[in-house]
Amino acid sequence: MSNGYSSTDIDNMIEDTQDEYNIGIPSNVLSAGTGNSGGGGFLDLLGGLGSYLMQPDVLLPGVVGGLLTGEAYGRLSDIGRQARTGAEELAATQMEQTQFRPFTVTTATGAGMGTQVTPEGGIETTMGLSPEEQALQSQLMGGAGGFFGQAVQPTVEREQAIFERMRSAQRPEEQRQRLATEERMAAQGRLGLSSAAYGGATPELLAQETAINEARNRAMLGAMQQAQAEQMQQAALGQQFLGAGYLPQQQLMAATQPAQQLAALQQQAQLQGAGLFGEATMSGLEAQLVAEQARANLLGQTGAGLLSGALTPRSTGNSSLVSALGSIFGQGGG
Amino acid sequence: MAQELRSINLVAPAFKGVNTEDSPLAQDPSFAEIADNAVIDKRGRIAARKGHDVITTNKTVLGSDSIRVMKEFKDNAGNTKVFSVGNNKIISGTTTLVDETPGSYTITADNWKMVNFNDNTYFFQRAYEPLVYNNTSGSVVKLSTVTGASAAADIPKANEVLSAYGRLWCADISDNKSTVFWSDLLIGQNWTGGTSGSIDISKVWPDGYDEIVALAAHNGLLIIFGKHSIVAYQGAEAPASMTLADTVAGVGCVDRDTVQYTGTDVLFLSHTGLKSFGRAIQEKSLPISSLSGNITKDIIGALQTENQFFRSVYSPEEGFYLLTFVGQDVTYCFDVRGTTENGSYRVTRWVSTGFTSYTRQEDGTLLIGTSKGISEYEGYQDDGSPYRFKYYSPSLTFGDSSRIKILKKLKPTLVGANNATVFLKWAYDFKSSYATAEFTVGDQITGFFGVSEYTAVEFTGGALTNQKSLNATGYGTSIVVGLEADIDGSQLSLQEINVMALIGKLL
Repeated sequence: MSNGYSSTDIDNMIEDTQDEYNIGIPSNVLSAGTGNSGGGGFLDLLGGLGSYLMQPDVLLPGVVGGLLTGEAYGRLSDIGRQARTGAEELAATQMEQTQFRPFTVTTATGAGMGTQVTPEGGIETTMGLSPEEQALQSQLMGGAGGFFGQAVQPTVEREQAIFERMRSAQRPEEQRQRLATEERMAAQGRLGLSSAAYGGATPELLAQETAINEARNRAMLGAMQQAQAEQMQQAALGQQFLGAGYLPQQQLMAATQPAQQLAALQQQAQLQGAGLFGEATMSGLEAQLVAEQARANLLGQTGAGLLSGALTPRSTGNSSLVSALGSIFGQGGG
Repeated sequence: MAQELRSINLVAPAFKGVNTEDSPLAQDPSFAEIADNAVIDKRGRIAARKGHDVITTNKTVLGSDSIRVMKEFKDNAGNTKVFSVGNNKIISGTTTLVDETPGSYTITADNWKMVNFNDNTYFFQRAYEPLVYNNTSGSVVKLSTVTGASAAADIPKANEVLSAYGRLWCADISDNKSTVFWSDLLIGQNWTGGTSGSIDISKVWPDGYDEIVALAAHNGLLIIFGKHSIVAYQGAEAPASMTLADTVAGVGCVDRDTVQYTGTDVLFLSHTGLKSFGRAIQEKSLPISSLSGNITKDIIGALQTENQFFRSVYSPEEGFYLLTFVGQDVTYCFDVRGTTENGSYRVTRWVSTGFTSYTRQEDGTLLIGTSKGISEYEGYQDDGSPYRFKYYSPSLTFGDSSRIKILKKLKPTLVGANNATVFLKWAYDFKSSYATAEFTVGDQITGFFGVSEYTAVEFTGGALTNQKSLNATGYGTSIVVGLEADIDGSQLSLQEINVMALIGKLL
């Protein structure tokens, strides 16, 4: 609910109330005309005014009206203080009402997550796995480290090892082929044959050695590819193990999602309740402020009425005040 | 009571050649016990061989040595040149011998083998860098100096070389007796590149070990002769792929210079006599019929005592294959026109000829190397001198070796032999002391119609035939009849000998 005043306006208004001569009218209003008068005129004016005010039909209503107006002024000042105090209390209450409330989550596998507010006002989250999960995580992490360690190793030794294994698988058949060729060449009487066109060997020996060399080359390239594939595989396994190592934590995080949603709902309800509380409180304060303001206005109007009556000129002789004021203002104006 | 004369007519005596293998008593009279300086003539008769006509007029470079090897260079342009070897020199020419030995090339042996290949003549001898000649260079040079040649150390210093299947093949080097080397295709000086190569047959010998002696190309095969075995390879046109076709154990070759091609067979001398490779391949197993089966022991004895060279030549014009044991100055003449019942060639023997080398020229001329230079096989004198023709029959028993034979008359029929003095000999009972009857053949100059003058010569149709009747003496159970004559300018053929004898009592 807005009353059309800002806090600054209210503060100015409060400060203005501290001025005894300021009752809502600019202080220089009453002094208007006096500043510009000469020393003799001003004293005359004051002497005329005093005479006027000392008249009974002017003095009584004027005094009562002044008191009532002062009472209204004082009440309005109290209303402001009470409104401020009430608003501050409301803010403090709502701060307390909307403050984060820690919660904990425990999964079925024994992992847990807890939250707490630090003395500095921060929110601290703690998570913990069960011993079995920690062991599994350690194993997976260790495995990932091992795989990554193997993945970053140079592939030369592995290539050689694979090559040797491939060659050891090929050699027996090659040896059988060599023996068969040797026997065939012996049967053909060609064992001792050497031709420059075939590098000092025979066509079949050259073909055989070429085939063996091709197989060796293929084994070498295959070993390189296999070593690289294994390196990739090690890296992939490392990644898989690493991902699996974080799986308990991920599952814990997943398990906290419902709790977090509940906490959020709770926070939302808490905020909503605080809002309702604030609105209700503020409504009370506003109602009280309006009532008090109305009472103050009533007093003020009564006082103003009395003052107005006292200062209003009468035809029965009560026109001296008006006359006096008229003369005052006429002089002033003149 | 007078007894009837028994006549034994030796028609075309010795037309089967010499036979020293069978028992003299059981022999066919068609064989001869001795047939020296004889051949089988075109009529199948035993006849005197031709002589040699020395055509060399200047043999200064030869000195007192003999021509050891001869070969006629031929190229596709028709150029020819006769090369010979002797006195540790490479010699060219036939009339005037010219030293062709490369400069700064020292030779201490004359056992070269020369082959023609792709317009070049190559000279190979064990432990010597091969030499080469072609008509372009006009001189004999070291093979390693030819453009495109392998280094001297890479060229085999072989004793045997063969030109066949578009390559040179060689074998028998000092420290390697089991490897055959071949040159690049058509490039006889390249022994390291191209399609050159080699084959070590030390694991191929059928009897475990042998040494290569000779090479031959025959019937698409590369024939490798060892001393005691033969190995044949097929597919030698592409030597890198050639394969073993056959092996023969127990038959080898004595010397590379005994190998000759007859068109159908390859003849070579083995330790058991003259063999034919074509025949050996057909039979594929021992025993192999020997082409010298009638003189096997003589051949074996000759090759066992030979301490110099073997030389041979095949002459299709003369129809013989000559095999000379140079150190013994003995030549066996095998008539290749036919064989006897045992598959052997008819063979005669030439002795004391002084022949040390042969070559047959493209026109069929047979050149003979001697200490006098180069001769042609023609005429009936040896460099103007007569030579002795001999024929001795095997022992004749007239069908009954148990009775005494009393020889009465000998009637030889000779063809030719103009003015020759003929010695007719006979002996009894295997004794070496012969009785001799000598006679001179009359003038046998032929006169032809329209050519010869009237009354100057007797008109004849060709060679004249002369028949004599000589009285014989003595007696015995077996008789050997011989005929000797000095051949001095005229041919002599023995047509027949008619032997007249009385058959006496039983011993």
